[in-house]
Amino acid sequence: MKKIILSIFLLSVVLFADVKIDTTYSTLGVIAQKIGKDKVSVTVLGSNKYDPHFIVPKPSLLSKLRRADLLIINGGGLELGWLPPLIRSANNANIQNGAKGFLDISHFIPMIDVPTSVSRAFGDVHSQGNPHYSTDPHLVLNIAKAIESKLEELDADNVSYYQQNLDDFTKEWSSYLTKLDSKMSECKVQKVVQYHELFNYFLKRYNIKNYGNIEPLPGIAPSSKHTIKLITMMRKNHIKRILQDVYHEKKTAKFIASKTDAKVVIIPHDKGATGGKTLQEFYSNIADKICQ
Amino acid sequence: MKKKIFLSAFIASSLFADAELDAMKKQLEQQKIITQKLETKLDILTKKVDSKVENVNTSSSFSQNAYLPDIALILNMSAVSRDMKNSDYEKLSIPGFIDEGEMHLPFNKNRGFNLNYAEVAMHSVVDPYFEAFAMFHLHPDEFEIGEAYVQTTALPYGLRVKAGKFKSNFGRENAKHQHSWHFDAQPIIYKALFGPDSISDAGIQVQYIVPTDDYLMLGLEAMQGTNDRSFGDTDANNLYVGYVKSSVDVGDDLSILGGLSLAHGTNTTHHKTDIYGVDLTLRNQFGSYSSLMWQSEFLQRDKDIGSQTTKQAGLYSEMVYQYNNNYSAGIRYDAITKNSDANNLTKYTTMVEFKPFPMSRLRLSYSYDKTKELNGERESINEVMLTLNIAAGAHGAHDY
Repeated sequence: MKKIILSIFLLSVVLFADVKIDTTYSTLGVIAQKIGKDKVSVTVLGSNKYDPHFIVPKPSLLSKLRRADLLIINGGGLELGWLPPLIRSANNANIQNGAKGFLDISHFIPMIDVPTSVSRAFGDVHSQGNPHYSTDPHLVLNIAKAIESKLEELDADNVSYYQQNLDDFTKEWSSYLTKLDSKMSECKVQKVVQYHELFNYFLKRYNIKNYGNIEPLPGIAPSSKHTIKLITMMRKNHIKRILQDVYHEKKTAKFIASKTDAKVVIIPHDKGATGGKTLQEFYSNIADKICQ
Repeated sequence: MKKKIFLSAFIASSLFADAELDAMKKQLEQQKIITQKLETKLDILTKKVDSKVENVNTSSSFSQNAYLPDIALILNMSAVSRDMKNSDYEKLSIPGFIDEGEMHLPFNKNRGFNLNYAEVAMHSVVDPYFEAFAMFHLHPDEFEIGEAYVQTTALPYGLRVKAGKFKSNFGRENAKHQHSWHFDAQPIIYKALFGPDSISDAGIQVQYIVPTDDYLMLGLEAMQGTNDRSFGDTDANNLYVGYVKSSVDVGDDLSILGGLSLAHGTNTTHHKTDIYGVDLTLRNQFGSYSSLMWQSEFLQRDKDIGSQTTKQAGLYSEMVYQYNNNYSAGIRYDAITKNSDANNLTKYTTMVEFKPFPMSRLRLSYSYDKTKELNGERESINEVMLTLNIAAGAHGAHDY
């Protein structure tokens, strides 16, 4: 009996030797995997087919959080509507806010669109700035570095392994960025509107101007008054591209397109949201869809 | 080979560059020291020693603003139309459970307008080991501590301890606050067994999450047992609650949560009361904003009152369809299934809900209630109600 218990114990130690990482979204998950490779096991909590603000706090997520060594969040308020009660009920001291196994990536990102005043009268505004930074391919390296330093801290035995992975990834990513940047320099689309301010980081990076949003205020469903205003504005400014995400209703965008001769393109907000398994596919997909 | 040469040349050049940089830094440091010395000399010579220190920040020395707790104001109000006079409504009873005039109707009591409550909800991290919560429930003429408790955040092995006054995690609906219910009225079986506050008491709770792939949670609570509908023996603390809850996902969209609960206490006759609960919730997502939720609970009470053990049971089953961010609709069926008089003790409720924003909610509901009795006569009550609920301020997200 003792032997059995001992061997179960040993087995579990061997099986769970990896650093168990939970990430709130897929893009963070795939970057964590690039840095941790075989020494980590990554679980993504929020499915990429859903609105990242409104992930359903299913009890099954509790069992995932319960066993995590490291929780990597997007931050900037994006998880505010679903993650805090889960962290509270997961009974895991490692991943509490402030603990060693809690990593808020937004702390390593120069946030844009930081509001000077915050009130819910302006809709669902995040006081820390626009939290959708993961659409900017240049910020991937910030994310990778932040994850690498955290892994060094948590798993001191494999410091050189993580450093090597980061070096490899940095090289791979830099050469990809060169390609992407040169492709984007030929992009003819310079003016767009979007449903929600999801792609501001990408647009800012490549000097594409966002003229307006289909939702009148962040988190508020489109109104006919606002839609008509938007159509007039788009006609005046000759805007021919509407950026739509996968999870909002698409009727309004299609209606606006029919009135303005613009084209609705469905852009992934997170890795894999419109198919494609790799990080490069994710960003190339955003670029292609906007510029095509 | 070429690469190697190039690389070593590169390294060499960068090394040289580093050495040069270091030398320059050193030089600069030395220059600084010389300048400082000269300045001091000059000051002494000219006797112009400046004794003033410049002000670089003006922080308030004892300010604790950054530690303020999250505070939210929750308001609930209604307009009610009902085919029964207020004076009769207050005298209703539930046969076998609640005697005439003992109903306690905290919410939506009056035909016409009701301000049900203004609640102040507070939450704060205490230190690296504890979190604190409080829910101050304010009626128009009453102040009540709905809940006030601390819970641990740093215990190992998947454990968490809660202490204070709190709502028991018995069943599915018990721990939820009225403002997060899908229907405005409490399920009839809860009302019959526990009254309006459900199982809410001073006590201590321990919860353990088993480290399995699927969610499995075990909980134990020791409570004072002041609820005299089912417990209420005042000689000592008398209530113990235990439960197991588990959940599985079927794909990304369907989640199933089930639980078994037991409450064991001593009632006002100094004899034992046992309450068994079974709950099941299914929720299927049709995208981010649309879902279908089906939640049911069955509760049975065995109450020993000395001369006999009364066995009573009831259930409710509710289904809510969320159409989008703004609209949802639902139906609920309530029934007492086992009682001295269980004949047709049922209630039907239907509602439509409009949420302009996640913090505000308007709900229109209609209910047909056949569970009540007035002066020994069974009554059927029709009720149409419009409620408005808002949560303003820093109010955290709700559990599943």
